Amino acid sequence: MNVSYNKIRTSAFLTLFGVMLAGTFSPPAFGQDPRLDIKNLEALSKKASEVVDVNLDGPLLKLASRFMTDEDDREGLEVIKNLKGIYVKSFTFDKPGDYSVEDVEAIRSQLHAPAWSRIVTARDKREGEITEIYLMTERDGGNILGMAIIDAEPTELTVVNIVGPVDIDKLSQLEGKMGIPRLGDQTKEQKPAGHHEKP
Amino acid sequence: MRNRSSFLTPAILSLALLQMLPFPARAGDQEFRTLVERMSAYYQKRPMRFMGWLNFVANRFTLQGVSHFQIAIFDDIDTSRTPPSEDLESSLASLVGPSYQPFVRVHDVRSGDWTCIYTRESGKARFEMLIVSIDSTDAVLMKMQLTPDALREWVDEPMKKGRDSREEARHAEVN
Repeated sequence: MNVSYNKIRTSAFLTLFGVMLAGTFSPPAFGQDPRLDIKNLEALSKKASEVVDVNLDGPLLKLASRFMTDEDDREGLEVIKNLKGIYVKSFTFDKPGDYSVEDVEAIRSQLHAPAWSRIVTARDKREGEITEIYLMTERDGGNILGMAIIDAEPTELTVVNIVGPVDIDKLSQLEGKMGIPRLGDQTKEQKPAGHHEKP
Repeated sequence: MRNRSSFLTPAILSLALLQMLPFPARAGDQEFRTLVERMSAYYQKRPMRFMGWLNFVANRFTLQGVSHFQIAIFDDIDTSRTPPSEDLESSLASLVGPSYQPFVRVHDVRSGDWTCIYTRESGKARFEMLIVSIDSTDAVLMKMQLTPDALREWVDEPMKKGRDSREEARHAEVN
């Protein structure tokens, strides 16, 4: 009886341990957090001449939405009202070539599939500008959890991290505001859902 | 006439002496005074004198939507006391306290200048902004109240406004 009880207890403990282990490595812990770790770009900061950080989250983002009372702001309000945060890090360099492709890779390395999908890559060869837009969606490909924008110009590199459900069709409403660079027509090049480029 | 003159002379002298006192010893809200004292303790340096005049004048010429402007300038600071870049953010966060939310941070890498801007809501449709600017020789602390429209300009163009405030802090140091 005692042996049997011990077996049951051991088996219960093992099951519990297994559940806890599975919980520890469940999908949310495997990078379902749309917040990028921008702090790991400090090496890039040393090459830049100027670094600007913008944090718009929590109460400040709520405040921003409260200001958007004009008719013109209606779509912008629709975009930000459910967001958790907008984080921008912009590096300015003295001259072209002060940062490399490898430096940009430090950001891209966080934007892995399957959590992240690159939906836009736009290259302006004349201006030497590359813009990439990434989306993080729920595992079933449903709701958008966040967005990342990498805008690389010869002397400026901007990383935008939008946390929360973003309506990409209305993203243009935020261009040039809140530290988000102007993306021109690039957002129109997005591919339909389910046909995402993998980084 | 003689009586009036005898009253005015000490009053003017008192006012003049008052202006010579370090800023935290006089006007300004308690919280700002506390911040100034903390910074003063940090750098082992008192803020510049005559800040009272500057604040008095500045409050009459501030931009639309800005009020309750207060400034304290610490010149010739011992820069070895400034925390290294990687620790500056947390050091300043503990200086300004948890009620302020970090909003914009501008770091001029070449010169080593830092400008950190914090905001918080301040009751009835008013917002408070705190700007801490540190360069190779001086540290500037600025606090002001903003109307929603004034803060909206910041939210719309945070990078431009952050850079502008760095320039403003520089001008304050020079003047």
